[in-house]
Amino acid sequence: METIVSTGVIGISIGAQYALISIGFTLIFGIMGVVNFAHGAFYIIGGYFAYTLTSLLGAPFIFAVVLATFLTALVGYFVEIIVVEKYVSDHMATMLLTLGVYQIMVTGATLAYGAEPVDFRFPISGALRWHGYFVPYSTLVVLVVCAVAIVSIYYLVFMTRYGIALRAMADDGAVARAQGIPAARMFPMAFAIATGLAGLTGAIVTPILVLEPQGGEAILGKAFIVVILGGLGSVTGATASAFIVGLIEAYSSVYLGGSKGALALFVLVVLILLVRPQGLIGSSARKA
Amino acid sequence: MNSVDRAGPASAKNASGDALRVDGIAKRFGGLRVFDPISFELAEDEILGVIGPNGAGKTTLINVMCGMIEPSAGRVHLGQRNITGLPFHSVSQLGVVRSFQQTNTFSKVSVEENLFRAKRFCSKRSGPDLGLDDLLHDFELAGHLDEPSDKLPYGLQKMLGLIMVLATRPRFILMDEPAAGLERRERIRVDRFIEHARKVLRCGILIVEHDMDLVKRLCPTIVVLESGRLLAKGPPVEVLARPDVINAYLGDSAD
Amino acid sequence: MVSDRRRDFKLDLWGIVLLVPLLISPFVTKDVLISSLTYQISIGVAATMGIYVMLRMGLLSFSVPSFMTIGGYAAAISATAGWTDIFFLTAISFVAPALVAAPLGAIVLRLKGIYFIFITFIFNEILQILLFETPDLTGGANGIPGVPPATLFGHELAAQPQLVAVTAALAIVAALITFVVTHRFRAEFTSIEENETLAESLGVALWKYRTIGFIASAGVSGLAGFALVNMLSTAHPSLFASWSVNSYIAYAFVGGRGTLLGVAVGSALLIAVTNYFSAFANLSAGLFGVLLIVVMMLAPSGIVGSFVKLADYIRSRSVTRSAPSIKEKQNEFG
Repeated sequence: METIVSTGVIGISIGAQYALISIGFTLIFGIMGVVNFAHGAFYIIGGYFAYTLTSLLGAPFIFAVVLATFLTALVGYFVEIIVVEKYVSDHMATMLLTLGVYQIMVTGATLAYGAEPVDFRFPISGALRWHGYFVPYSTLVVLVVCAVAIVSIYYLVFMTRYGIALRAMADDGAVARAQGIPAARMFPMAFAIATGLAGLTGAIVTPILVLEPQGGEAILGKAFIVVILGGLGSVTGATASAFIVGLIEAYSSVYLGGSKGALALFVLVVLILLVRPQGLIGSSARKA
Repeated sequence: MNSVDRAGPASAKNASGDALRVDGIAKRFGGLRVFDPISFELAEDEILGVIGPNGAGKTTLINVMCGMIEPSAGRVHLGQRNITGLPFHSVSQLGVVRSFQQTNTFSKVSVEENLFRAKRFCSKRSGPDLGLDDLLHDFELAGHLDEPSDKLPYGLQKMLGLIMVLATRPRFILMDEPAAGLERRERIRVDRFIEHARKVLRCGILIVEHDMDLVKRLCPTIVVLESGRLLAKGPPVEVLARPDVINAYLGDSAD
Repeated sequence: MVSDRRRDFKLDLWGIVLLVPLLISPFVTKDVLISSLTYQISIGVAATMGIYVMLRMGLLSFSVPSFMTIGGYAAAISATAGWTDIFFLTAISFVAPALVAAPLGAIVLRLKGIYFIFITFIFNEILQILLFETPDLTGGANGIPGVPPATLFGHELAAQPQLVAVTAALAIVAALITFVVTHRFRAEFTSIEENETLAESLGVALWKYRTIGFIASAGVSGLAGFALVNMLSTAHPSLFASWSVNSYIAYAFVGGRGTLLGVAVGSALLIAVTNYFSAFANLSAGLFGVLLIVVMMLAPSGIVGSFVKLADYIRSRSVTRSAPSIKEKQNEFG
């Protein structure tokens, strides 16, 4: 029983991480029609920024995480302006461009920090133990931070004028522009926010798991699974699916062991697609 | 070419006797009701006009009839066969082919290549020569066979799209605002196209249109779609004089 | 670029012709570097054919390494079990991935292109996990070492030039299959790429042609996998890592995604460059990234495509200068 609950908490924590990554990814697609293959790279450079700030410059962890988030967003901002901006809405072009960006960023990270994982540790060790329940403190911290970030994003996207403008852009760019919404200024900001989220997730999660240049690929794969299930472009879909995926991963890790979890997830996704090609939550606009 | 042969009655059927029939079809998207159960029939060799204010559901009607989307209720029949829910391409292969309101050609390839593809994709049926060359000449496309279709003027692209539909040897053509974007003097080409199509293939034609002159010229029968209901059906002169039809349009433009 | 059936046909043929030297070179020279380049380019070409087929329909398939895995391991397992006949191995390395592609395609090709791309991306990871989880069949983390070389009519093709020649032959077979499929269905594939809705309205069953392409892509990727396994006499998970697909994508786009010639040129050029700068091998991914971005932004038709555009431009300039009143039908390139 205790294992079930503990695993559940871990699953929710993982789900929160995936949610942050996937929300950013799906926002970029929903608003700009860009498939950001570099998203995983922003995750790891968030980690590398935080690592540099703490381990090499001695900054306190929280400060490092916050700064890393901003730095990642800044990189995202410039990537958008320089590379992506002109190709918004062209799926194929942005896929390849961001693929190129991904490779450049990963190579850069390899050059700067080496191909092996670096020694980046979470500042709080130990776990909450209570009557057989076992939840690492790091998991709880990640859960809280991610939850706060998710709520903030929801507030931004659904409550503020800026967010409403973003969603108007996503729904019908031409009309939104006609209404005076300045697309050219909004896209870089939107991209920066989304990649900043990835950086934040990287900064707090990689010290728990591992920080290495190849780490971006796996996380991108998770984002893909989440948006397949939840529908690309849907923030609520991504959030819900992310938690489902996180829970499935946690439970299959504990009860099936090792990498069978990923296998189980894939089989599940394929089965779901067989029965509901529109994913768990998406609409039938999915079908080819 | 001023008035169509009105002696062809609305329910005339040719040798195969198959009509395209919609039977109580309705469509909603989530909470939005696009149209309520509608029923009507289009016989081969018949021309039926569909008019109505914007947002009445006319394009959705075509989308349902040709299989692009499924109706929320009701059925579409081709003769005896229930074609509801068949994939879009299958409905086309069965001979119910639509045209598009915007120009829709393969823009980067030549006119000739466009026609080549249209003939190839629906090659199941064979038959007498379609006389496409005559149409190409009439529509001033014959001199542009090698040009990429997106370099042609808008009107020519639209006519190319129509000829491509004809090249598939349709039994029924669902035309979505064929005159939209055409200049006044070009619209008579739609008449010419329909005349030709009926002559070589005796196809049934459904026209969704806003151009009332064209509708009055070509359609012995029209139906009016307003707020998702079938408001009236009959000859244009009658229907357009009805107060409820007039209201439907005035009410729309007063908003 | 105006798509021109006859010109593309010629360019594709040139692409295949350009592969013939790969087959001849092992018998003409024993130079180690050339031998290495030859087999690397051969394998690269075969794998990139897998990318190319789907690109004809405007789909980016990340599944090439996965199908290389299936084809490569199918060949390795068969050869280790004693079935080393080259024709058999070629067939099974094509058929095994094709058999997986058919049902997988049936499920994922119904979705919009983007979801297809995502699933093919994930499929790689899954296959890698499967390799590790089935050590009895695949050797798990150790792979299958000591795979016997293919045999031709009982004669073992074990010498270095023969091994290289086999990879070149497989590349040519892959190119020929790709050529046949993409030309037989050229109108359908190009229509799907350009305007799916119109294609459907004219009666094209999208799903059917996507599946044909996907199966062909899987098969030729399998051939590439066999080539790799045969050359190295080993099947190992690290040979089929997910990131390798980025290289094949780069070859296709830098060379020119519109023709087989582009695939050949892109593979040859980028592999040669990587070898030349072998001291900076770990930078190659970054270099390809830069190239991809530069190509997409400045020359989206790739090297071959840009040359064709240039030739068109020069030709149209000289026509208007020399005979402005004559409208000539465009000559074929090359």
